[in-house]
Amino acid sequence: MTQQLNYFEIFGLKPGFSVDREALATRYRELQREFHPDRYAAKSDREQMLAMQYATRINEAHNVLREPVARAGYLLELAGVEISPEQTTADAEFLMQQMLLRERLEEVRGEADPEAALDALSREVGDLFTAEQDRFGRLFVDGELEGASDSLLKMQFLAKLQRQVEELEEDLLGDF
Amino acid sequence: MALLQISEPGQTPEPHQRKRAVGIDLGTTNSLVATVRSGSAEVIAAEDGSLILPSAVHYGADASVTVGRPARERAGEDPYNTMLSIKRFMGRGIGDVKSFGDQLPYHFVQSGEDAGKGGMVAIETAAGTVNPVQVSAEILKVLAVRGGQALGGELDGAVITVPAYFDDAQRQATKDAAKLAGLHVLRLLNEPTAAAVAYGLDQGEEGVIAVYDLGGGTFDISILRLSRGVFEVLSTGGDSALGGDDFDRAIAGWIAEQAGLGTDHDVATQRALLDRACAAKEALADRTEVEISYGDWRGNLNREAMAALLDPMIDKTLRACKRALRDAGVGTSEVREVVLVGGSTRTLRVRERVEGFFGRAPHADIDPDQVVAIGAALQADVLVGNKSRDDLLLLDVIPLSLGIETMGGLTEKLIPRNTTIPVAKAQEFTTFRDGQTAMAIHVVQGERELVQDCRSLARFELRGIPPMVAGAAHIRVTFQVDADGLLSVTAMEKSSGVSADITVKPSYGLEETDITRMLQDSYEHAEEDVAARALREARVEAERTLEALLVALEENGAELLGENELNELERAMEALRLAHNGGDAEEIRRRIEALNEISEPFAARRMDASIKRAMQGHTLDEFDR
Repeated sequence: MTQQLNYFEIFGLKPGFSVDREALATRYRELQREFHPDRYAAKSDREQMLAMQYATRINEAHNVLREPVARAGYLLELAGVEISPEQTTADAEFLMQQMLLRERLEEVRGEADPEAALDALSREVGDLFTAEQDRFGRLFVDGELEGASDSLLKMQFLAKLQRQVEELEEDLLGDF
Repeated sequence: MALLQISEPGQTPEPHQRKRAVGIDLGTTNSLVATVRSGSAEVIAAEDGSLILPSAVHYGADASVTVGRPARERAGEDPYNTMLSIKRFMGRGIGDVKSFGDQLPYHFVQSGEDAGKGGMVAIETAAGTVNPVQVSAEILKVLAVRGGQALGGELDGAVITVPAYFDDAQRQATKDAAKLAGLHVLRLLNEPTAAAVAYGLDQGEEGVIAVYDLGGGTFDISILRLSRGVFEVLSTGGDSALGGDDFDRAIAGWIAEQAGLGTDHDVATQRALLDRACAAKEALADRTEVEISYGDWRGNLNREAMAALLDPMIDKTLRACKRALRDAGVGTSEVREVVLVGGSTRTLRVRERVEGFFGRAPHADIDPDQVVAIGAALQADVLVGNKSRDDLLLLDVIPLSLGIETMGGLTEKLIPRNTTIPVAKAQEFTTFRDGQTAMAIHVVQGERELVQDCRSLARFELRGIPPMVAGAAHIRVTFQVDADGLLSVTAMEKSSGVSADITVKPSYGLEETDITRMLQDSYEHAEEDVAARALREARVEAERTLEALLVALEENGAELLGENELNELERAMEALRLAHNGGDAEEIRRRIEALNEISEPFAARRMDASIKRAMQGHTLDEFDR
C-alpha cells in the first residue's frame, strides 16, 4: 500500500538529499498514469475513492521530494529528528548576515536602480541557498543529524528571504 | 466460470459496448456539445444545423422556459425575464453581483431559505424566482438532449468545462446544475486544459504551451507541459469576471459619451448600446473604421480608438500571464506554443498584444469557439472507457490557495495555488473550553492575508467531539480537493478515534436541501414525476456498478478472490439485478450499497495489485532489504 511506503519508496528512489529531477519527473508521470482518478472514472465508487487517495499521496510525495527544504525536513523526520516551528538557529554570525540582507531588501526601493539592486541581492541569496544545500547534503550523509538540523533551519531562513525577494520583484515589475 | 456469463441480454448493457459520452462547453455567451464519433471529435449540431447554443434562457409569464436563440432574441423587448451571461453569477452572492458595476436589468434577490445570511444570488422572473444553477441546468438539458439524439440513446456521462480560475463555489454550482439536468458528470475539466488537449492530440506537440482563453465573461491563462500524452498544468491564473462582455461595455460607454447620453440609462437603452458596441467590435476585425449611429447621433470608431478603450483590460490579462509564468517557473522564451481560445480572442487588438507579450504568433487553427468542447469530448471518451488507457492523462491544479480563518481575521494557507490535484492537507485543532463538543472552521479561497479580502467558501461545523478538558481533544481535520477541484472536509478526534459530524454551510452555494427542493420543482414542470426519475437514476447507477464489477472480475477476479468470496459477490450482484428489474428505487439503492460493501476488499486488492505492477522492475530490488 502506498500509505505504508515512504515517499522515496513510492518513487523507487534511494533515500538521500540529492535527487535526480529528471528521474523524479518521469516516475511521477508513470505513477499518475497508473493511479490518477481519471483512470478509474468508469470503475466502482470504491475504486474511485482509493484512486483519489493514492493519487493524493503520490502528489504529496512528489511535492516533498522536489522541494529541497521539504525534502531535507522529510529526511530528518525519517531519521527520527523532529523540528518544531519555534526552533531557530543559534549561529549568531548567520543571524547577523540575515539581518543585513533583510535591511538591504527593505532599502531596495530607495536605490537609484532598484531593479539592479534587487537582482544582485537575489543572486546573493540564491548562492547562499545553494551553498547551504550542499552543506546539508554533506552533513546528512555523514550522519551528523544535529548539524543537518541546523542547516535545515538556515535553508528555511534563506528560502523565506528568497520568497520575499520574489514578491518585491513582482511588485516592482507589476505595473507595465 | 459461470459468474462471468450471467449478464442477461436486455438487463444490463454489455461491458464492452461503446458508451455515449459528450463534452460540454457551458459558456458565458454560447454553449456547445461535442462527441467522438468514428475516431474524431466533432461538435454536435442542432436540428437546424447550428452548432452554437446561445447561453440564454427566457422565462415567460405562462411559466414557459425557452432556451437558446429564440430566448436571446427576446432580450431587447423583455430584458428582465431573459437570462444572459448567467455564468457570471454562478456561486456568487448578491453583493458580488452589485459590485460588477454594470447596469444589469435583473431583479436580484437572495436565494435559499435563510435570505439575508448570504447564499447564491437569485433573480425574480415572470415565472418565479430562479437561481443561476437552475438557469444553467436549462441550458445543459438542451445540450444533453442534443447529445442523446445524436448518439442514439441516453448519455452515459459528460465532461463539463469550467474556467480554470473558477473557485470552489463556482465549480460546485456547475456540478449542481449538471445534477439538476440529470447528467452524470465524469469530470469538471478546466477550459484551457481542454483546449490544450484538442491542440496537443491534433499536432503531437511536446514542450511548454500557454493557453490564453478570453471568453465572454471570463479570462484564463494556463501554462502546461506536454510530455508523451501527459498534460501537466504548471500554473493557472485569470479573472473570473473579465471578458468580451467588458469590451462591449467599454465601447457602449464610449458611444453613450459621444452621443451625449450620460452614464445613467434605462435597461432598453443599455441593451441597444451594447448591441451596437458588439457589432462595431466585430466589424473592426475586418475593417479599420466603422460607422456607428444611435438616435440622431452618428460617429466613427477606428481601430486605434478601440485599442485605447480595450487596452486597460488587456493589460490586466497580460499581468495575469506574467504571474502564471512566474508561478510555473518558466520564462517567456521557453514557451513553445501559444494557443488562443474563446470568442473574444477574435478581436485583433487582443491578438496583437498577446503576440507582443509572448514574442510569437499565437495559434488559432481550431475555431476558438469550438476548441474547448472538442477537448472535453476527447477527455470524455477516455474517461467513459471507450479509449485505451494509455492515450491521455491530464494533471491539473487548484487555481486559488485554500486557507482557513485564524485568530484576528487572518488567513492561514493550507493548500497553495497551483498545487496539483487531487491533494489533501490535514490540520490539527484543539478545544479551548472544558467540555467543548463543537467547533466551526471557516474555509476561504484566495491569496490575501486578511480573511475579508478572500472568497468565503464555507463554514464547516464539527459536532460530536467527545467532551474533555480544554486543550485535551485533538481534532484532525482533513481538507481534500478531488480531481474536479472540489473541496470536502472530514474530521476525527485523535485520542478517541471518534469522527465528528460535519455540516457544511456554503457561503455562496446551495445547500443539499436547496438542491433537493429544486429537483422536486423541476419534476413538477417535467412530464415525468419524482418517483419515475428516482427509479431511472437508480437503475442507471445499478447498471454502472454491475458493469464496473463485471469488467473487474473479468480482469482479475479469479486471481484475487477465493471461491467463497466469489460466491458471495455473485449473490450480491444477482440481488442487485433482481432489484434493478423491480420498481423500487430505494431497494436498488440499498442493493448497490450492499454490493459496494461486499466488493470493497476486492477493490482494495485490485489497487494493491496495480501498485505491485507499478513498482515492478523499478524498485523491488531496493525494497528487498
